[in-house]
Amino acid sequence: MAEATVVPVKKKRPAEAEPAGPGAPTVPFLLDFYPLEREDQTRLAAFYAALREGRLTTTRCRRDGALHWPPRTVCPKCHEDAVDWVDLPTQGRIYAFSAVLAGAPLGMEAEVPFVVGLVDLDGAPLRLFGRIEGSAWAEVRIGQTVRVETYTIADGRVFYRFRTVRAEGPAAAVRPSEGYL
Amino acid sequence: MSERREVAVVGGATVKFGVRATTWPELAQEAGLGLFRAVPALAAEDVDSLFVGAAEPERFAFQSHVAPLAAEQMGLTPHRILQRTELACASGQSAIRSAYAAIASGLSDVAVAVGVEKMNLPSMAEANTAMACVMDRPWDGVHGATAPPFFAMVAQRHMLEYGTTEEQLAAVSEKNHRFANANPSAQFHEKTFPRDKLLRLPLVAPPLRLGDCSSMTDGAAAVVLTHSGLVRRFTDSPAWIRGTGQYSDFHNLANAGSLTDWVGLRRASAEAFRSARITAADLDLAELHDCFTISEIVEYEALGLCPSGEGGRFVADGRSDRGGDLVVNPRGGLLGCGHPLGATGIAQAVEVFEQFAQKVDPRRQVPDPHWALVHNLSGSANVHSLMVYERGG
Repeated sequence: MAEATVVPVKKKRPAEAEPAGPGAPTVPFLLDFYPLEREDQTRLAAFYAALREGRLTTTRCRRDGALHWPPRTVCPKCHEDAVDWVDLPTQGRIYAFSAVLAGAPLGMEAEVPFVVGLVDLDGAPLRLFGRIEGSAWAEVRIGQTVRVETYTIADGRVFYRFRTVRAEGPAAAVRPSEGYL
Repeated sequence: MSERREVAVVGGATVKFGVRATTWPELAQEAGLGLFRAVPALAAEDVDSLFVGAAEPERFAFQSHVAPLAAEQMGLTPHRILQRTELACASGQSAIRSAYAAIASGLSDVAVAVGVEKMNLPSMAEANTAMACVMDRPWDGVHGATAPPFFAMVAQRHMLEYGTTEEQLAAVSEKNHRFANANPSAQFHEKTFPRDKLLRLPLVAPPLRLGDCSSMTDGAAAVVLTHSGLVRRFTDSPAWIRGTGQYSDFHNLANAGSLTDWVGLRRASAEAFRSARITAADLDLAELHDCFTISEIVEYEALGLCPSGEGGRFVADGRSDRGGDLVVNPRGGLLGCGHPLGATGIAQAVEVFEQFAQKVDPRRQVPDPHWALVHNLSGSANVHSLMVYERGG
């Protein structure tokens, strides 16, 4: 019996091994939560450029003055595309929050338990949702002050989150049994 | 507006909901089996249109183009309208609304609405990832927002603003699980959840515990609809569609407004009741979207069943139970039946049809029901979809 010829297969390099650089997510891309942020990927690249400088920004309509969230390319009120980038306050107060103690999405399981909440920005008519770092969930309070911070993920992209400044809040609403109200 | 034809649900079936050892296409086959058994006068060639409610088959079953897949699995050859409807948790009701519109307009004569979802995956973290992209993924989902933390914030605000208690949340869960006990297709059939046990279950997203949350569920359901000229071919007890309403005013969580007053539901239900020429007080039963216990409480208030802030007391006083103002979720709700996203709205319609025909288990049969409401919210309660049914006979 003739010996089988084994043809060496030239292995294709896995995508992960290719030079990534900022903004090139690793595969599988469709399980990646973070937005693409480069100028060749989104018209909102300025948002991420400002975040790198520690500034949280959004768009405001040049025509009717509407402040948008999330930032936009077209104003939903007047349907025009003349928008300006404006800086947002760097501090706010917690309007509502909870914690993910189970059922976290892929890539976030190791972060459990983590706190998320809605934050009223000081001096701007916006209530942003985001991750809240800095305190255990049972220590967080409605009304507590948080500041906005930028963080960097492994491939170099950036995003925003909140961090508690100090424990405070409406004492009367605190329930000793759970401590989260 | 040109004359609309009158449309009724004339039969339907629900497969066993739960953690099923079965695939998406197999669930569609089971829905077809159940439908043709439940409606003996229905032949495959009668069905000119098929609407397939499926929220995330791309994520849960790695499958797109599911409308022809479902048609093939069910042995149907649609020749008027074939399409999938996707509206997250309301995908099933969207299929029925689309079938209703098609028949009312004269484009279809006999349409099937089927809902299928396979949610239990080998990796539940992937299933949770699918749920997180129901939200505004790059702005809200990215922070870890799935449904439990959002509805937990609703509960937290409701507790803060109105003094709603964990015991009142548990009253919703106890009631719906009790009804599910009398529903063999429910995921939690033959499982009891007394209130003291519910209050000891682990927290998922505080203040919500495991018993406050509906499940990741595999399931399917199908109904057949037709117009007044053909109804009698299929049934003596049609469930007439008398009104519909829908409203959506935001998607990103920053634009939600009040967490505790669901304005979109107030508007959608006003339109549903107006078009049916009834009020909330006329309802005998309501299939409400209890994805979480707090959802059902906020829904009582937005529907006008009780004043704002009194939803917790409404359930604790038994007013949404047998012997109360109306019966809410006699099927067992999403809490007791499980919540296969695409199938839920259709299973609710099957329940209304069977309640009107008075053929469900006597432990959950509403006595002599005439008017029924079906409600689904989707996502972060940013869409509300409703249908009002009247019993024919």
